[in-house]
Amino acid sequence: MLKVQIQNLHKHFGSNEVLRGMDLDVEEGEVICLIGPSGSGKSTFLRCINSLEQPTDGMVVVDGKVITDKHADLDRIRENIGMVFQQFNLFPHLTVLRNITMAPMQCKKLKRADAEQRAHELLATVGLSEKWDCYPSSLSGGQQQRVAIARALAMDPALMLFDEPTSALDPEVVGDVLAVMRKLAKAGMTMIIVTHEMGFAREVADRVVFIDDGVIVEQGLPSQVFGAPQHERTRAFLEKVL
Amino acid sequence: MSFFELLQESLPLFLQGMLLTLQLSVISLIIAMFIGLGSCLMNISKIKVLHWIAMCYINIIRGTPLLVQTFFIYFGVTKAFGLSMTALTAGIVALSLNAGAYLSEIFRGGIEAIPRGQTEAARSLGMSHGAALIKIILPQALRIVIPSVVNQCIITIKDTSIISVIGLAELTMVGSQIIARTFRSFEIWIIVGVFYFVIIYVLSKLSKLVEKRLSLAQGADTKFA
Repeated sequence: MLKVQIQNLHKHFGSNEVLRGMDLDVEEGEVICLIGPSGSGKSTFLRCINSLEQPTDGMVVVDGKVITDKHADLDRIRENIGMVFQQFNLFPHLTVLRNITMAPMQCKKLKRADAEQRAHELLATVGLSEKWDCYPSSLSGGQQQRVAIARALAMDPALMLFDEPTSALDPEVVGDVLAVMRKLAKAGMTMIIVTHEMGFAREVADRVVFIDDGVIVEQGLPSQVFGAPQHERTRAFLEKVL
Repeated sequence: MSFFELLQESLPLFLQGMLLTLQLSVISLIIAMFIGLGSCLMNISKIKVLHWIAMCYINIIRGTPLLVQTFFIYFGVTKAFGLSMTALTAGIVALSLNAGAYLSEIFRGGIEAIPRGQTEAARSLGMSHGAALIKIILPQALRIVIPSVVNQCIITIKDTSIISVIGLAELTMVGSQIIARTFRSFEIWIIVGVFYFVIIYVLSKLSKLVEKRLSLAQGADTKFA
């Protein structure tokens, strides 16, 4: 089943054309890694999928709902799309537990007890059971990012978007976050990941998509894209990063 | 008359004056908080008309002296619309409108200081614009603005002295009345000054306490990461 359909996506910031017509279909349970040089439009592309950036033109369909429709109920659709940010963006004035229970209680009208029980389960999944009562500022970057993943999962999303989730982390904690994401992928979550972790992309992705200058240059199995890139620009990029 | 006899004789009047000063300050500031927050939300609203109304209000208040505003409300507005208004009511209206405009800008500064990522995270979870504002942005913004809000409170408390011009017997007015009778301006203005000083000193100590409480509730240092 198709989870995500993106057709002819364009995004301009003023006269600056960041996305120049991109198409992507994502199957249920598929893990997609978006790679490419910085400034190529990967993050903007990802942010168009849950309409944090409004596309200038094109269509995005997530789980059967057209998010680019003018009359779309964005809040309801976004409940279904989890997002993890490079800078974590945890709510600093709330404890870890309240960070996770906030949206389910606010949007899904879950009872506090139910929301908290689910939050404790999720914290166990990301390996931070004992941190439920802490404030984000007392956690390391890697711990904060794992809480952010738990927070997104608390809404039971059908799709998870990751925007360079390990780029702001110290090298020694990157592995913890990737381990959680790997677990999620194994559990069958549909994921779209913007990443610079080529090793992770090669290992976990079902499909790697190389983006440059606002277009999808090449996509395929990790072994194809990394092993035998077809396009000159892909080869030039991989030479620099691998 | 010695200084202490003077003080003893004028103390009851001063206490009455201080009570009125406190009444003016507290009521005006409470109303001003609501006006400030309301006009701030209007100001940052995407609805152009609301933004425009708030901008007009803020610019007019900030662009004219409180003294003129006070005269305008007490004499001008009452005359033009055939209203009757006590000096106390007029004073409260003038001070609330005045402080409200400054608080509005203070609140806006606080809200805009919260990183965009906070709103994005809330919205990406499915929270509405309003819920994100109330549950995520405002609680953080209010913490940031406490020092500036306290500062505005201090300014407003001192501005109550201007309200004496419409015949309200608050501290400053009481002072001039006693001087008119005793000609002891040096001592009386010192006493008046001490009263204001004590009120404001107590307020700033209290606010430090509140600030400490709030920062404790959020963990030692906050990195808004």
